[in-house]
Amino acid sequence: MRNDSLHKILYVEDDADIRKIVSMSLEMVGDYTVAACGSCSDALEVVDDFGPDLLLLDVMMPEVDGPATLRALRSRESAAGAPAVFITAKVQAGDMAHYKRLGVFDVIVKPFDPMSLSDRIGQIWQQFRSDAHDDAG
Amino acid sequence: MIKQERHTLAYGVAGLLILTFFVWTFNLLFGIQNHWAESNSVTAMDKDVHALFDPWRNLNRPGNDVLENYEVAAQQQALGRHLQEYRQARGRLDMHSRSQVDLSDYYRDMDAVALEVETLARRVLDLAEERESLRLAAADPAQISAAETEAATTMAQMDQAFQSGLEIIAGMDQLLDQRLLDLDAARRVGVRSLYLIVIVALFSSALSLVLLRRTSAQGEALRSGSQRLNAIVDNVVDGVVTVDERGNVESLNRTAESMFDYSSDSVVGWNFRRLIQPESRPLYDAADFQSRSQSPGRISEATGMRSDGSAFAMELEGTRISVEGRPIIIHIVRDVTERKRSEKRLQLAATVFENTSEGIMITDRDARIQSTNPAFTAITGFAPEEVLGQNPRILQSGMQTREFYEAMWKSISDTGHWHGEIINRRKNGEDYTQWLNINSVKDGSGQVTHYVGVTFDISELKASERIKDEFIATVSHELRTPLTSIHGSLSLLDSGVPAKSPEKSADLIRIAKDNSQRLVRLIDDILSIAKIESEKMKFHLRPVNLGKLVMDAVEANQDYAQQFGVHLQLDTGVENAWVLGDKDRLMQVLTNLLSNAVKHSPEDGVIRVETVHNDAYWRVTVTDNGAGIPESFYDEVFKKFAQADATDRRKRGGTGLGLSISKAIIDRLGGRIAFESVPGVRTCFYFELPIMQPHWDVEAGAERIAASAGFAAHAD
Repeated sequence: MRNDSLHKILYVEDDADIRKIVSMSLEMVGDYTVAACGSCSDALEVVDDFGPDLLLLDVMMPEVDGPATLRALRSRESAAGAPAVFITAKVQAGDMAHYKRLGVFDVIVKPFDPMSLSDRIGQIWQQFRSDAHDDAG
Repeated sequence: MIKQERHTLAYGVAGLLILTFFVWTFNLLFGIQNHWAESNSVTAMDKDVHALFDPWRNLNRPGNDVLENYEVAAQQQALGRHLQEYRQARGRLDMHSRSQVDLSDYYRDMDAVALEVETLARRVLDLAEERESLRLAAADPAQISAAETEAATTMAQMDQAFQSGLEIIAGMDQLLDQRLLDLDAARRVGVRSLYLIVIVALFSSALSLVLLRRTSAQGEALRSGSQRLNAIVDNVVDGVVTVDERGNVESLNRTAESMFDYSSDSVVGWNFRRLIQPESRPLYDAADFQSRSQSPGRISEATGMRSDGSAFAMELEGTRISVEGRPIIIHIVRDVTERKRSEKRLQLAATVFENTSEGIMITDRDARIQSTNPAFTAITGFAPEEVLGQNPRILQSGMQTREFYEAMWKSISDTGHWHGEIINRRKNGEDYTQWLNINSVKDGSGQVTHYVGVTFDISELKASERIKDEFIATVSHELRTPLTSIHGSLSLLDSGVPAKSPEKSADLIRIAKDNSQRLVRLIDDILSIAKIESEKMKFHLRPVNLGKLVMDAVEANQDYAQQFGVHLQLDTGVENAWVLGDKDRLMQVLTNLLSNAVKHSPEDGVIRVETVHNDAYWRVTVTDNGAGIPESFYDEVFKKFAQADATDRRKRGGTGLGLSISKAIIDRLGGRIAFESVPGVRTCFYFELPIMQPHWDVEAGAERIAASAGFAAHAD
C-alpha cells in the first residue's frame, strides 16, 4: 500500500504553455511534486524513477494520445496503481462515459481555475482513497 | 350459297305449280259452266223438237180424210191452221243458237219435207175438190176415179214425206238426246274433277297452313334470335362496329355509340376512318381488315376520335365475314385509356423501382425475399439471385441485439410499420449504417401478404456527420487550449502566487499574450475556412502581378523568419507575372506557405522562393530544408487541423488551418496547389495559376474561373 497522502503527480501535456501553468499551479498552490512531460515517451522515461501517486494526463496529444499514454504507463509497475485523471478541453457528449470506461478516475475540464486546481486534485485523491478503503473492506 | 340457289328453285317450282293449278281450275270451272249452259240450251231444243211432233202429225191429217168427208173447205182451213202451228214450232227451233249440236242439215231437210208435205197436201185437197166437182157434175166416173186415183197417189206421196219428216224429227231428237247425255257425262267428269280440285286445294291449303305456320314459327324464331343477338351485341363491353366493303359504317352497338359519343344514325354511312385520329389512320390502312377473313387483324395502339374531337386510346380488331353472301367487316373497338394509364403507372412504378437510389426489398409474409431492386444490389452487394427466397437476416451484422429485432417485429405486427437506423453487413463483409423503413402490405381482407423494406445507405451521411462533429470538437478543443493558457496565467498572476519570482511572472505574461494572439489567428482562420466552405467569401478578381506580389510577401515575412533564425531567399524575381486573381487572398496563401516553411525550418534554415512559368501557368514554389513530411501524412496535409507534429506547430503558433485555407483559395481561383517532400531533406510547396492572356477582360476571366471552379465568382 502506498502512502495515504498525495505527493507526486506525473503530468503529461503537449502544450508547453499549459504545462507550465498547471505545473506552476500544482507546485505553488498545492505544494505537490510535479513531473511535467511533453509526451508519452518523455513520461515513460521518468515514470519509474519518479514513482507517481497520481497520473494527470491531457487527452488530445499528437502521436500518442491520453488514453494510449495511460495504457502505456499502466503497463509499468511504478504507475499501475496510481489513479488517473484526465485534464482536457475535449468534453463533448459521450466523451466522459468513454473516459470512465478507460479506467480514468476523474476528469478536469479546460479551461480550469489554476487556484482551485490543487484543491480539486486533493478531493479526487481523497475520493480515490476512500474508494480503495471500501474495496479493501 | 348453294342453299340460296335451292331456295330460289323451290320457290320457282312452287310458283309454276300454283299457276298450273289455277289455269286448270279456271278451265274446269269454265268448261262446267259452258256445259251447263249448253245443256240447258240442248234441253230447250229437245223440248222444242218434241213440240214439233204434234204440229207435224196434225199437218198430215187434212189430206187423209178429205176423200171421205168431202169437207175440202174445212180441210183447207185446217191445213192452213196446222201449217201455222208447225211454222211456229219450227221457228222456235231457230232461236237456239248456243247449242253446239249442228241441226242445220236436219232443218233444211225438215223444211224441204215440210214444203213437200204442204205441196202434196194442197194437191190432195185440190184433187178432192176436183173430184167433188166432177162428182157433183156427175162426170165420167172414170174421170172421177182418175182424180181419186191421183189423189190417192198424192196422198201416198204425202204420207211418205210425212214419214220422212217424222224420221227427221226423231233423228234430231235422238241427236239432242245423245248430246244431252254427252254433256251430262262431261259435266259429271268436270264436277268430279272439281271435287278433286277442291280436295287437292283443301289438302294443299292444309299443307300450306302447316308449312306456313312452321315457316312463320321459324320466322318468329329467326326474328327473336336476331333481336336476342342485337341485345347481346348491344351489351357487349367492347364496341362493335360493322362496316361494308367500301369501309362505310353500317351499324354501331351501344358501347361503340358511347365510346365515340355518336348515335348510330349520325355515323351510319360514314367511312370508319373518320372515327380515327388522322395520325392513326395509316396504321388502320396498313392493318387491312378487308382481307382478314381467316385471322382477325389487330391494332393495339390506335387513337379514336369522339364527336367533340377529343381522343382516346383504343385497341382495334377487324375480321371480314360474309352475311347473306355479302361481306361485312366487323370492328371490335376497345377503349384502352384506363389500361394504358394503368400500364403507364405500372411502368412508372417499375422505373422508379429500378432506378431509385433507395434499396427496395420485398418479402412474402414468411419473410422470404421475393424481389430486390438494383439499388439494393448496389448497397448490399447481393445480386437478386443470391438473395431470392432467403431470409433478410443474411444482411445482419450482429451489431444489433436480439431485443432490437424483437422490438422491430413487434412494431411491424402492431402498427404495420417500423423505421430506424440499423447497421447491416454487405456481401463483402463491410458494415454499413442504413436507414430502414419497413411496411407490411395487406390484401383486401387485411391479411399481410408482403413486407416492403426501403433502405438507403447513410454511412456517408453518418461519416460526414462524424466529420462535422469531430470538426466542432476539434475547434472547441483548439479554442479552449489558448484560452486555458490565458485564463490560467492571468489567474496565477492575479493570485499573486508567482509574485516572488519575477521570471515566472514574466513567463505568465508572455503566455497570456502569445495565446491571445494565437486565439485571434485561430478565430480568423476558422472564420476564413467557414466562409470559403460556405462559398460566402468574396473574391475581388483583378489582374494581379504575381511576381511583384511574391516579392512583397517575401519582404513582409522577413522579420518573422528572422525570429526563428530562418532566411528567406527569392531565387527568381519576375517583374511581370500576370494572373487573374484576388490580391489579398493570394497574399494570404503566400504568407501561409512562407510561415509554414519558417515553422518547419531548422535554425539557420534557408527558404527558397521561385516564380517560374510554362506555356499555361505561373508557378510559385516555396522550398524549405526542414524535416519533410512523412509519407503516411501526405493525405492529411491539406485537411483542417492537420498536425504531423503538433508539438512543433504549437511551439510556433500555427493554427493547423493555413494549408487548408490556401488550398481552398487556390481552388477557387482555378489553380492548383501541391507539394513534394524528401524527408529529412526538403519540402516544396507550390501553387499554379493560369497565365493572364492579353485578350482576357476581367469579366471573361472571371467567368472562366467560375466555370472551372464550379461556382459564380464576384467580379467588380
